[in-house]
Amino acid sequence: MIRYSLRRLTLLLVTLWLLTVFLFALNYFFPGDALTNMTGVRSADALHYQRLVAERNFDGSIFAQYLAFLSHFMTGDWGQSLTTQRDVFNELLPLFGATLELSLLAMILALVIGAPLGLYAAGQQRGTMDRVIMGVSLSAYSIPVFWLAQLFILFFAVKLGWTPISGQINPLFDIEVRSGAIIADILLSDSSYKSAALADAINHLWLPVIVLAIMPATMLMRITRNSMLDVLQQNFIRAARARGLSEARILLRHALPNAMQPVVRQLGLMFSVLMSNIIVTEVIFNWPGIGGWLVKSIYERDYPVMQGGLFAIAAIILLVNVAVELFHAWRYPQVRKELYAEH
Amino acid sequence: MRLFRVGLFASVAVTGTLIACSPASDEVAPLRQGIIYCSEGNPESFNPQLGTSGTTIDATSAQLYDRLIDYDDEQQAFVPALATRWQAMDKGKRYRFTLRDNVQFHQTPWFTPSRPLQAHDVAFSFRRWLNTGHPYHEVNGGSYPFFTASGLNRLIEQVTVIDDKTVEFQLSRSDSSFLANLATDFAVILSAEYGAELLSRGTPEQLDKQPIGTGPFVFEEFRKDLIIRYHRHENYWREAPEIEQLVYSITPNANKRMLKLLTGECDVIPYPLVEELALLDTGDDIQISSTVNPNIAFWAFNTDHPPFDNVLVRRAMAHAINRPAIIQTIYNGNARLATGVLPETSWAYSPVDLTYGYDPQRARELLTEAGLAEGFSFDIWAMPVQRAYNPNAQKMAELIQSDLAHIGVQANIVSYEWNAFRRRLARDEHDSVLIGWIADNADPDNFFRPLLSCAAVNVGTNRANWCVPEFDDLLIRAITENKTETRKKLYHEAENWIYREVPLVPIANSMRFQASRSDIHGVEVPAYGGVSFRQAYRSDGAQP
Repeated sequence: MIRYSLRRLTLLLVTLWLLTVFLFALNYFFPGDALTNMTGVRSADALHYQRLVAERNFDGSIFAQYLAFLSHFMTGDWGQSLTTQRDVFNELLPLFGATLELSLLAMILALVIGAPLGLYAAGQQRGTMDRVIMGVSLSAYSIPVFWLAQLFILFFAVKLGWTPISGQINPLFDIEVRSGAIIADILLSDSSYKSAALADAINHLWLPVIVLAIMPATMLMRITRNSMLDVLQQNFIRAARARGLSEARILLRHALPNAMQPVVRQLGLMFSVLMSNIIVTEVIFNWPGIGGWLVKSIYERDYPVMQGGLFAIAAIILLVNVAVELFHAWRYPQVRKELYAEH
Repeated sequence: MRLFRVGLFASVAVTGTLIACSPASDEVAPLRQGIIYCSEGNPESFNPQLGTSGTTIDATSAQLYDRLIDYDDEQQAFVPALATRWQAMDKGKRYRFTLRDNVQFHQTPWFTPSRPLQAHDVAFSFRRWLNTGHPYHEVNGGSYPFFTASGLNRLIEQVTVIDDKTVEFQLSRSDSSFLANLATDFAVILSAEYGAELLSRGTPEQLDKQPIGTGPFVFEEFRKDLIIRYHRHENYWREAPEIEQLVYSITPNANKRMLKLLTGECDVIPYPLVEELALLDTGDDIQISSTVNPNIAFWAFNTDHPPFDNVLVRRAMAHAINRPAIIQTIYNGNARLATGVLPETSWAYSPVDLTYGYDPQRARELLTEAGLAEGFSFDIWAMPVQRAYNPNAQKMAELIQSDLAHIGVQANIVSYEWNAFRRRLARDEHDSVLIGWIADNADPDNFFRPLLSCAAVNVGTNRANWCVPEFDDLLIRAITENKTETRKKLYHEAENWIYREVPLVPIANSMRFQASRSDIHGVEVPAYGGVSFRQAYRSDGAQP
């Protein structure tokens, strides 16, 4: 396990490093001055600009420039925005929290809906409910998220008036932004209207969470169902049945844990799908997260912000994937053994 | 199998609880005591001196600051604001203002004022853009388009502090538009004490980012593309506002603004899609109000770019477009066909139609005369945002495009993000542009010098790049004149000049619309200037 973990972590570091090389190269590919693209300081601000030329080794070779870039990057100096002149890294932190909150909640909801429904469908194999669940999941899977979001907004918010359509909370609740994750911020705040604010925040949350959760939930349903069906055909299940174990015991103690193995393996992939959907969802729901921020920065040609957003999204996808792989390998030792042909 | 069912029910139950958790929390105090205004964009800064954009004015002037004097549209007169009295001396070449006592500046976590408003604050606010040597002149760009375009920076020779409560303006000549310009949303009063403190801290640029003023609301925070938050200024010199909190929720998309108004996330929205709101069955929840707005939408030709340096081509363009059809399509009849640069609301307006009729045949003849019988191709720049004078510049550009196709001219439509659009316009990158102007004050001069004078070419508000010194002289004569009748004649002459030379084609004078939830009252949109929430309040019990 240690060897496996080390290999994974090394791979993660190498990928992240390659990402920084890519970001560094982008500064030269973007139109305009490379140093301005990197730091957000225009040459019109002569004093500051000259200081940065020295700091960032812009008189030196490209390698020296890269090293300077890397050391600034590692210490959280990601430059300033070209449009607002604010520090990119500090701007990014609360946005990151908001995105993380939304994606985690959506992932949890997807698990809570997807896995049980998949199990249920497997139990009803070829029954009516199985066909209904699989049919619904296939059609839900094929609806693009931007369209679904608009549809839900029109129905739940405009037609039924159940929910607001933008932001994290009614802005009149003056909740100080600390982590960016609204629920955490409310709990940390000293507002005298915590419970009302919490209710309002949940009211803002549920629609985007559902919109985001639907795609991974449908994927989960089908993976869970298929892997459960596979497991149920195995000899050890038949043996268990022959021994007269109760059906519930067979399913929960013997079939389910084995069926979850391929499901867990797919979680990383599902998270990647979720992250690409989250960009669209954040724009539609005006969610103050990284996705919306990144899209806006592309419109405004705000290169330092673009790099920060790209790195944050790429890094979170990589981290989650590696975490899922490590968990998978730890939880299911046979996977490691297959990988290294160990016995 | 029962366990599967439990799983199914559990997942349904979780979804159910999430949906059920949606109580309408209208009773909570912060929601009752605040108003949300869904503005159409980010302000460029928090100091109106630095810009001319309506978005910035709406977000700052009436909320954060006060002026020396205000203009009362009903009485058609200047009324005291920070100055209680003023007198003209030396035949209108010197003005002396007496300041109000006990006007308090905002107290915030980043600044605690030690004294009330004094004459030094007035001097500081004006010297910042008057004196190029002022320590704040170059801070945050050093460009003051309104003051340059209106010529105020050359009109005021000196601002003198007589004593703590008295300040004097020395003018280079007598100018009938001086008081009108002081009453605009741009002539705000900043705190000299705050300026000095920021200088000593080494962060002068904060002056326009973390603003301190004397206005009815205190700045709290700004998150770009999300919100601006203000709270009530408790020590405001007028009666303090009724609402405790004012939030600008930034919503550039017009459809989204309308939906947010319907779901109650916005209390007030500017520039609503009037016809679409009318189609929806909103019951009594939404009210739409309109104010007469002294504005003009026009199509300006960059007279530096050929072939628009040729007046025949400009006239041909004016004949080629079907303006009545444009009014019908774009404004849904909520606008008047412009008859000249001045709108009907101006006292200098004369009811003679000084525009070119729709006549494609004549347009072709003019083009042939100009040696362009084969036609040509050029760019029309269309604003990406809605403004009071033009709710849909893109669509207008498309109509013009098809009209021009009939006379063999090919127009390409170009647009950029609003702030970039204005920057590029100022750099003269356009061939022609669909834009407009909203008057900042009641003086007719405001429609001419900021739009068509040589000074306006330099600051980039003269979209036609049209600089004729004789025309400038005419405008100067008009403002040094005191007799209304003579001024009227001079402005009529100016209108005729524009009619002959066609640096721009006037298109429409329109209304400014605003929609709000029906429990919101007292939001004012003065004819000259930005929206004001000073007297806004939310009526109780209006909720069903």
